[in-house]
Amino acid sequence: MAKHQLHLRDIILLALIGIIFGVIYFAAGFIYNGLTILLTPIGYGPMANDLTMGIWCMAGPLAGFLIRIPGAAFLGEFFGAVVEMLLGDQWGAVNLISGTVQGLGAELGFTFTFYRTYNWLTLLISSLTLTLVTFGWDWFRNGYSHFSGQMLITMLIARFISVFVFSGIIVKLIANMLQRAHLIKQ
Amino acid sequence: MNPSLKLFLILFLSLELTFTNKLWVNIIVITVCLVLLIHYHFRWQQFCWLIFIPLFPAIAIFTTIVLFSPGHSLFYGLVLFSRLYMYVSLGTIFTFTTNPLALARSLEQNCHLPSKYAYGVLAALNLIPKMKQAVTTIYIAGQMRGVTLHWWSPTLYFKAILVALQWSDQLAQAMESHGFVEGQARTRTINIPITARDWVITSTLIILIQIIVIALP
Repeated sequence: MAKHQLHLRDIILLALIGIIFGVIYFAAGFIYNGLTILLTPIGYGPMANDLTMGIWCMAGPLAGFLIRIPGAAFLGEFFGAVVEMLLGDQWGAVNLISGTVQGLGAELGFTFTFYRTYNWLTLLISSLTLTLVTFGWDWFRNGYSHFSGQMLITMLIARFISVFVFSGIIVKLIANMLQRAHLIKQ
Repeated sequence: MNPSLKLFLILFLSLELTFTNKLWVNIIVITVCLVLLIHYHFRWQQFCWLIFIPLFPAIAIFTTIVLFSPGHSLFYGLVLFSRLYMYVSLGTIFTFTTNPLALARSLEQNCHLPSKYAYGVLAALNLIPKMKQAVTTIYIAGQMRGVTLHWWSPTLYFKAILVALQWSDQLAQAMESHGFVEGQARTRTINIPITARDWVITSTLIILIQIIVIALP
């Protein structure tokens, strides 16, 4: 059987990772609403979405680091969305679309390093692709084309910082711990 | 209605309405979803939740476009405001009327999704309450040692992933010892057919939406 293929155990693990992040995100949900309320009066309300983007995208890069098979990062992020939908999350099916977009963004980072190198560079590239791909989707979904150029640049930078801090630095710290515990198969 | 076709219809509508900036079609979709939800005996607490969830982001986008963006367009403000409610109504009608097991069966039978995906995810789904409990246990165990594990602390995730690694091993073994073999042909206890009625409903709805999108602003 092909080595580079996801098996039942990996699929369950990916879905469980999606669930872990889903469970913990739930506790962080108030941050999004709080930021929205704070930023709306100064005209930067939608930036709450960019500032928290990194939090919602952590499952993908972590899955890619843990299970070093093409498609793992995508599925880790996507299953998170599937689980949320089946749990009865109100955003429901649209979650699947955002999950697909975020999964693609995370997966691209590993594709560009040919699934060989797994270090800071991988996470930097993965953060960049995540930022650009999710920004592209929000461009249509949240009507970014109507905003001023200055605001868009601020939002893009805010999104990159958020993605790099949460889906980069924190994911790398978790991956380091897993590495030290010899849980990552080379 | 067949779960796979329903999922396809909802994804198709969400995507199409994301790329077309029309107001009336959003309002019509929301209204139809609400009527259907009343028909399916949706509780009023759930309705309040439905209104509350997208409220902050919707108001944020609306005020930003109407008051702070260069165009000051009231129309686009309303389009984006209603779009968030359209997403949420479509999402709710889907999750409220679809059983996860039926969806997994339908995706396996009608869309030829490999059974390892359909049942792997479904198996993990049943562990959600236990996973919630495991995360709480990790958190409390930390507090007992005087360590507060915040949602951003890597240790919390590390410990939860340890649990996930163990459970995924055990669950996969359990499924395999009960005769689950990846990629092998399976017999079906319950058939989920796609009937002619499903096709008619899906295509009629898609055509109707196209007419509304073209005809109304």
